Amino acid sequence: MTIIPNRSLDDIAETTPALGGNAISRAFSGGSLGRWIGLLLLILLLGFLTIYPLAMLLYGSLHSTPPGMAGEFNLNGYRSIMTTQNLIVLANTVGISLAKTIPSLTIAVFLAWIVARTDTPFRGTLEVLITLPFFIPPILTAMAWGMLANPQVGVINMLWRGMTGAQEPLVNIYSYGGVIWHMCQYSIPFLFLFMVDAFRAMDPSLEESSRMCGASRLMTFRKITLLLMLPVLTSSFMLSFIKGIETFESALFFGLPAGIKVITTDIYESINHRATPDYQYATSLSFAILGLMLLLVVWQWALLRGKSFQTVTGKGFRPNVMELGPWRWVTFAVCVLFFLISVVLPVGQLLLGSFFRFFGFYTYDMLTLEHYKAVFNNSEFWRAMGNTMLLGLLGATATMVLGAVVAYISIRTRWRGRSLIDGMAWLPWMMPGMVLGVGFLWAFAMLPGPLPIYGTIWALLLAYIALGTPVAVRVMTGAYHQLSYDLEECSRVHGASWFQTMWRIMVALAWPAFAVGWVLTFFGIMRELSASILLYSVGSETLAVVLMKLWANGNAEQVSVIGLMMMLLVIVFRWVQLKFIKARLSKL
Amino acid sequence: MTSAIQKWSRRLFMAAAGGVAIAAAAGLSAHAQDAEWQKVVEAGKNEGKLILYTALVGQPSTKQIAAAFTKQYGIDVEILEARASEIRERVRVEQAAGRFAADVMFTSEGQTMLYDTQDKSVDPLPVTPNSGKINDRFKLKVPMASVMTIPYGIMINTGLVKPADEPKSWKDLADPKWQGKILSDDPRAIGAGYLWFFSTYTKIGEDYVKKVAEQKLVFTRDQRESQRRTARGEYSIYMPVIMTDFSDLKGLPVKFIIPEEGVPYVLYGNVLLKKAPHPNAAKLYLDFMQGPVVQKIYAGLGYGPVLDGMTEGLPADVKAISEAKLYGTTDTTRQNEMLAKSKDIFK
Repeated sequence: MTIIPNRSLDDIAETTPALGGNAISRAFSGGSLGRWIGLLLLILLLGFLTIYPLAMLLYGSLHSTPPGMAGEFNLNGYRSIMTTQNLIVLANTVGISLAKTIPSLTIAVFLAWIVARTDTPFRGTLEVLITLPFFIPPILTAMAWGMLANPQVGVINMLWRGMTGAQEPLVNIYSYGGVIWHMCQYSIPFLFLFMVDAFRAMDPSLEESSRMCGASRLMTFRKITLLLMLPVLTSSFMLSFIKGIETFESALFFGLPAGIKVITTDIYESINHRATPDYQYATSLSFAILGLMLLLVVWQWALLRGKSFQTVTGKGFRPNVMELGPWRWVTFAVCVLFFLISVVLPVGQLLLGSFFRFFGFYTYDMLTLEHYKAVFNNSEFWRAMGNTMLLGLLGATATMVLGAVVAYISIRTRWRGRSLIDGMAWLPWMMPGMVLGVGFLWAFAMLPGPLPIYGTIWALLLAYIALGTPVAVRVMTGAYHQLSYDLEECSRVHGASWFQTMWRIMVALAWPAFAVGWVLTFFGIMRELSASILLYSVGSETLAVVLMKLWANGNAEQVSVIGLMMMLLVIVFRWVQLKFIKARLSKL
Repeated sequence: MTSAIQKWSRRLFMAAAGGVAIAAAAGLSAHAQDAEWQKVVEAGKNEGKLILYTALVGQPSTKQIAAAFTKQYGIDVEILEARASEIRERVRVEQAAGRFAADVMFTSEGQTMLYDTQDKSVDPLPVTPNSGKINDRFKLKVPMASVMTIPYGIMINTGLVKPADEPKSWKDLADPKWQGKILSDDPRAIGAGYLWFFSTYTKIGEDYVKKVAEQKLVFTRDQRESQRRTARGEYSIYMPVIMTDFSDLKGLPVKFIIPEEGVPYVLYGNVLLKKAPHPNAAKLYLDFMQGPVVQKIYAGLGYGPVLDGMTEGLPADVKAISEAKLYGTTDTTRQNEMLAKSKDIFK
């Protein structure tokens, strides 16, 4: 990490611009009073979105009864989680999460490098296709993999037995491997999406310099490419690892039959499967996890502090790709293989099954379009679709704007309190979704009367913004880390206002990351259930709620139809997004 | 003799007069009750709306019943569905915050006890014209207006289980020939598996349950997907299955079996939530759900009606399930104790 020519934040003085402009502009760009007011407003907003629901949960963990019931403060919740059994489950959970995160990150880095930094054929199309699993409801891919890889009659095992005459199955999805594989199905495309634009925004001259100095391709990849990606890589690792700790569907679907327990199944059970929901236990356990996860965040801060990762400087560069020669067909084959295994196999099952009365019974007399008709004639589905699109558009945009502001202050300024807002923005990611959902319910329902949030669509919107902010901040943090400070200073020196600089430099150069974050947030909203089920009101049902109802009633085929529609939407979104990115890159 | 006749005549007259008076009073009382109920009907219609929370998620019958209610009374029904624990917490928090949003909750007998004793979020039940007509066994101590029972039985894959081998009773599941071939809802957590455990543990005994535990059951918590898995041939038996799902799986190689002992069941009904914003519409709904229109809808789907005589004319397979002997249900007051036992046996 020695060839970075640009200055780090520590080299430059605290930015104290003295430009005029309107009140909002002054709030962020003006004197220290304006800045303090701006920062205070931001802290208040983040406090309402993240600290307030968490404070309600903290109350729940320290009180014998949930908010609104008579009880007493005690530490029984924390005492009850201190068991050997829980320690074993925690170790198991951490192990599963690591076993999922490390290969996922490795594969995602490799795929992102192939797509963004090499001349692999059809990489534009591959970029859209290999991310598809992320956008399918997990319960659907779980069902599909259950059909493909169950040890008794799974398609893969039947083929294996037919081909080899073996009695034992080749794969068993109801195992540790199955749980980890199903989690990887989501984390690989997520991490890929998260990182691919950072790879794209890299100045290839740095890699070329390394090559000219005699480094091999592998050494260049390790010493230059990967190290420059450190902020994005550490953020990716943490996002993925923490999500792995909080994973639920994979463990419940594939782990339970194999006797595999993770922390979230314990939390789920304490809320949903006890005579009386034990919120004190669930919240105490969640806070214990949050405490452990915070250590990771501190580790990342320590790791990145004082280093510079700028690759986008005032010096123009063409985002060239590495020419692989005949090896480009090998990288192409790797992407196609990943696409076939992670997309074609499960999605093929869903697509096929959607045209038959029952999944897995593919006979001529079972052919039908009734599931499509049922979905298209379901007025509740269309209402939910309308609500979700509205919430998705508003929520993703607001979340990304908030995330961009938080990331900017956190990375591009030396304002006091920047670490506080960065930390606040992390918090919702560290709390298991099903518990955080309860936190939002308690927080919004307990608001005083004049604040009409509970029972309205705004409660959902605020919860979605809070839930999406960690990803938004991480995406934008990665992008801002790469932008040189010279660019901003040049703009200011040439007379641009703070907002002009933000718009013409920071937004213009970071918008591909903004767009990726927007898509991640948008589809996060489309899939979110834990908070939605507790906050939706009559008329404000979301798609996830409708999917849950259909699934609960055994309409798996209709859920698949909706899942496929969501995937189609993703393809359109991603296609449009990539068109814009290409157009933008061609102008650079 | 004459005197005796006169005495008898006088007694007869007095008795007749008394009888007439009682009958008149009863008539008047019935008339007064009718008039009172008519006031409720009018008030309910004026309220014009009912907010229903239900823990029975995704059931098309809920909308069908709501439409029938609207047709009869002109009162719109807004329905909010969520799983039992989620909807209970919503109600509790809403009421604690002074937000009395819902009128009626459709839930189970066990949950009602918790609403009543722990959350104190329900009002006493009103006496309605239909409330006295239901079968006495479904008149409860807890403030829930019983509506129907959900029966649970055994499902087999007909491709894997020969007719001669079909289990006919719960006891048959302890036969070693089924070892490793049974997919079971998890009895260690509140749900269908626990219902089976509670019923058979209390009726057959601990030894039986321990024998079943030795069968290496594979546990699941997704009831509908488990039915499909069994149909696809992953397992020979799935238990306990919601018997009313039989019609959804017609065409698949499965058979629903009513065990000889009977079906464990969950009793569902309505509770009147505290400070309901539409109290009269709520009373009408409670009454409507115990009336013949709704009872026939549920019986037609295979649920057990609480009003007698509702299964006449049903197809034989539906009738058999709807009329299946009720075996037992859970006792909320013993849940912690029994869950601990289950966890101990099914480690």
